[in-house]
Amino acid sequence: MGKFKKSYVLTLVLMLAVSMMLSACGGKNESSGASGSGTSEKPVELIWYTIGTPQKDVDKVMEEVSKYTAEKIGVTVKMNMIDWGDYPQKMQVMTASGTPMDIMFTASWAFDYVQNARKGAFMPIDDLLKNQGQGIVKALDPAFLEGSKVDGHNYGVPANKELPAQIVWRFNKNLVDKYKLNLDNVSSLESLEPLLKTIKENEPGTYALAVDKTFGPYVPYDYIIEGLPMAVKVGDPSLKVTNILETPEMQQALKTMHKYYKAGYVPTEAATLTSLTDVQATGKWFTDKATNQPLADNLWSASLGYPIVSKAASPAMIYNWSVMGSMQAISANSKYPEKAMEFLNLLNTDPVLRNMVDSGIEGVHYKKVGNDAMENLPESKNYDMPTFSLGNVMLTYLDKNDPENKWDEFKKFNESGEKAPLLGFNFDPSKVTTEIAAVQNVKEEFWSSLMTGTVDPDKFIPQATSKFKAAGLDKIMAEAQSQLDAWKANQK
Amino acid sequence: MKRIGEFFRDLNKNRVLLLMVLPTTIWFLFFSYLPMAGMVIAFKEYRYSRDGFWASIVDSKWVGWQNFKFLFSTNDAYIITRNTLLYNVFFIIVGLVVAVLMAIVLSEIANKRLAKVYQTGMFLPYFLSWVIVGYFVFSFLSYDKGMVNHIASWFGADPTQWYTDKTYWPLIIVLVFLWKSIGYNSVVYLAAIMGIDKSLYEAAMIDGANKRQQIWNITIPMLKPLMTILTLLAIGRIFYADFGLFYQVPRDSGALYSVTNVIDTYVYRGLKSTGEIGMSTAAGLYQSVIGFVLVMTSNYIVRKFDKDNALF
Amino acid sequence: MTTQTQTIKTKPRDFHKLPTVWNVLFNIIAGIFAIACVFPFIFVTIISFTDEKTLATNGYRIIPEKWSLEAYRYLFKAGDQLLRSYGITITVTIVGTVVSLILTALFAYAISRKSFKYRNFFGFFAFFTMLFNGGLVPTYIVVTQLLGLKDSLWALILPLAGNAFYIMIMRTFFVTSVPEAIIESGKIDGAGEFKIFYKLILPLSLPGLATIGLFSTLGYWNDWFNALLYIDNPDLVPLQSMLMRIENSMQFLLQNTNNPSLGMGVLQSLPQDTSRMAMVVLATGPIIFAYPFFQRYFIQGLTIGAVKE
Repeated sequence: MGKFKKSYVLTLVLMLAVSMMLSACGGKNESSGASGSGTSEKPVELIWYTIGTPQKDVDKVMEEVSKYTAEKIGVTVKMNMIDWGDYPQKMQVMTASGTPMDIMFTASWAFDYVQNARKGAFMPIDDLLKNQGQGIVKALDPAFLEGSKVDGHNYGVPANKELPAQIVWRFNKNLVDKYKLNLDNVSSLESLEPLLKTIKENEPGTYALAVDKTFGPYVPYDYIIEGLPMAVKVGDPSLKVTNILETPEMQQALKTMHKYYKAGYVPTEAATLTSLTDVQATGKWFTDKATNQPLADNLWSASLGYPIVSKAASPAMIYNWSVMGSMQAISANSKYPEKAMEFLNLLNTDPVLRNMVDSGIEGVHYKKVGNDAMENLPESKNYDMPTFSLGNVMLTYLDKNDPENKWDEFKKFNESGEKAPLLGFNFDPSKVTTEIAAVQNVKEEFWSSLMTGTVDPDKFIPQATSKFKAAGLDKIMAEAQSQLDAWKANQK
Repeated sequence: MKRIGEFFRDLNKNRVLLLMVLPTTIWFLFFSYLPMAGMVIAFKEYRYSRDGFWASIVDSKWVGWQNFKFLFSTNDAYIITRNTLLYNVFFIIVGLVVAVLMAIVLSEIANKRLAKVYQTGMFLPYFLSWVIVGYFVFSFLSYDKGMVNHIASWFGADPTQWYTDKTYWPLIIVLVFLWKSIGYNSVVYLAAIMGIDKSLYEAAMIDGANKRQQIWNITIPMLKPLMTILTLLAIGRIFYADFGLFYQVPRDSGALYSVTNVIDTYVYRGLKSTGEIGMSTAAGLYQSVIGFVLVMTSNYIVRKFDKDNALF
Repeated sequence: MTTQTQTIKTKPRDFHKLPTVWNVLFNIIAGIFAIACVFPFIFVTIISFTDEKTLATNGYRIIPEKWSLEAYRYLFKAGDQLLRSYGITITVTIVGTVVSLILTALFAYAISRKSFKYRNFFGFFAFFTMLFNGGLVPTYIVVTQLLGLKDSLWALILPLAGNAFYIMIMRTFFVTSVPEAIIESGKIDGAGEFKIFYKLILPLSLPGLATIGLFSTLGYWNDWFNALLYIDNPDLVPLQSMLMRIENSMQFLLQNTNNPSLGMGVLQSLPQDTSRMAMVVLATGPIIFAYPFFQRYFIQGLTIGAVKE
């Protein structure tokens, strides 16, 4: 046994030695980083990480972009694209490990903006915006910058695009026409009933209300954390945090959903369905819930291959998550934050740069038709970028199929948006992470079966509520309320 | 002084074998032991520092055992621990028995060519990712398009909603596990059977032992060291669950959580919105430490009875 | 030797062979299980050749109404990218397996030797890494910053080269199939440790080496995660990683269908079900042949006497 013990001691010593080696390495890295930032007249290279399927011609296009930006503001650009599904994880590892970068894409739904701003991944840009980013401030609706503040500071430049979010019911127009359905009175979940009934009776094998596991009925509440059952009622000046499952609106909606489920309007396995792409391909669905955008019906019809009409199911409202739909942040470890901001400013104000980044090189990837319109050339398959993720979309050239007034429609839509009660407030979960982990698990257990109407709310809401309580929801709500009260007091 | 001299004499005596372990030892230092320093994050509220990772670790606040609390704080803690443990115990035992049996079956089949075809076939599930396996299980168990409900309807039975009925899921999970892993696991035993000195069987035949006696008295005892080692190693991972098996295959259906939620899925779901590296590191550390304690205990017991087959 | 086998064959009951009833039974057991394993794979192949619309309407069918090559056309759109990825995967798999076999065999052999004073220490040293790891970020830092392997093939090879699990298995093979006596006899003949290892031990351990080689080959072939972490250069992306990227992105986008910007622009260009099945076929097809290759070394009847000669 003696020999045995010795081997532990040896291991321990080894591990110690190793960690000492490590800290030595860490130190070395630091010093080399500091010496690198010498001042020279050469254009500085900005490293830019953004989301999307990597495109073949990125380097080629960035070479052109660099020529342009080197002349204008003295920077060159190296863009790295990371595919959709890998982006959040890879970015997390890279920021946590201190990989050098300057600009990175962030949003409420990918590489979480608020979370990473709090953890210190991004540089606060309040001053930079004032000094190098005036163009951005001018171009954006003030709600963008106000809504994307985290603890009073801005950490990212939101892309100028649709600002509010509006829930709509989308309809498969073929079926609407076939049964001569009248959509004029459609808005609430309940108002769908006669239509769903007609479809159910006449179109067997068609999903009347196409619902998958991500579905949640619209209720006039603003969620504190997307997906957790605490919310503040729209229009409630006291900003009282409530359990969404205990609100009359949600209970009513879930009852209706359960009624629809029992009537067979909703897919039997809605609670575990991950997508509806198969019925969308075959057209065997009648209506579903979607988030609107100006001229969305055209886009939907074009992508599905048959006509779609939509009816509003909610007012257009500016939420935190809609404001943070697409942002560019400057990395906390950027060596050239001022230059990065200058670049972002140019990207959001200069149509030449913006369109180059978006569509590639003129004459290679696209050609211009008219003043602000363009047409993709065959080569564009090697440079097909997600427009919304790369800054101000309203500078981009119209596609030849787009209506002239596209961006006016966007502006009108943005102006129509009302502010959601929590716009600009971001909950700081660091004191209640334990409870959130537990509550999240309870939520996942009950959420989709309740929301899709699969289970009887009369039975399951009490069950879920008591489990939520046991998991510590009350504590989280109390914490949220106190943060919210403090925020409210500060607002005045 | 004398002891140091002795130490160097020993080193010298073992120098060739030490040279043999050297490359891999270096590898382990770089790829395993160096990164282990990161385990300290389990006790930190990890925040980024602009000076890189090590600075971040140093600057982050110590939070003691705070990051571990979410693993124990609720009623779910009992369920996930129970599920993880029970499934793994079952996997270890059934997995061992079936893998050894299958290896023996394959080694005894007279037509060797056919045996090879079987072996190759059994290996295929190993290549399918859990996502794809999830699709398959769904194509069997789907309510309206699934094969099982189709067949049931021929016999006049009512269709079952498999993804909300938890009665059968423990069985389904075990079956899917076996289906996916047996091919892989039996290969080791098959190779071990092939490595058994043939003269042992010849000697047994001369003594008039029949096939069953040969298997029982030669094959199984010869496989025992491997069975012991593999079981010990599996015990070390007894608090780890295969995420895909418990997440993708039941399609993350909430109604099944009481029989499918395991530590790994719980951690995944719980940290989705906060993304605290400290907490996920804490979970991993907890799983490892328990596994470590269990292996050391079982290894100790094995040493008592059968010194040669212990891990170390 | 031949006469001996003949005499055995003429015996009324051959103890070396399984009784017919059992043989049939064993064939049935193994056969059924093998079919259960192969079936989904055939199914995947069929689906990958099914017309997308037909699939959406009818669900998975063994004999689809309409066949289509669309899924493969979609994947081959990338063209040379796919071929290059095959190239990367094959290179990494071959080099990686060789490196990993060398590391495993040397280490395992040393700690299998009873005369090795530090065998317990090194056994523990290896075993410990199976349980404890520092997590993603520290490993990432070691590989990219300390070793500087980002965007190099070594970043795909080295992280998988050492494996304590393989070492433990291999050590067991050495312990059970190599008697100390053979090493002693080698020593008496005046051979050095390396020569004994190379000339006497390795040939005796072929089934074990083949097992580890097989595992390691499959490990390299299926690995996509290291490429996700360490490879940015699209020319160095291995096959599985390329396919996994598509799969992951699909899952990610589907989870975010409620996001207006994503819903509008990106979702429509997603690959369909048939394409993901085609991906499985492309990724698995070639490697199936690796199995028979390693299987050749699962040869029974290597007796110790045979090696000594």
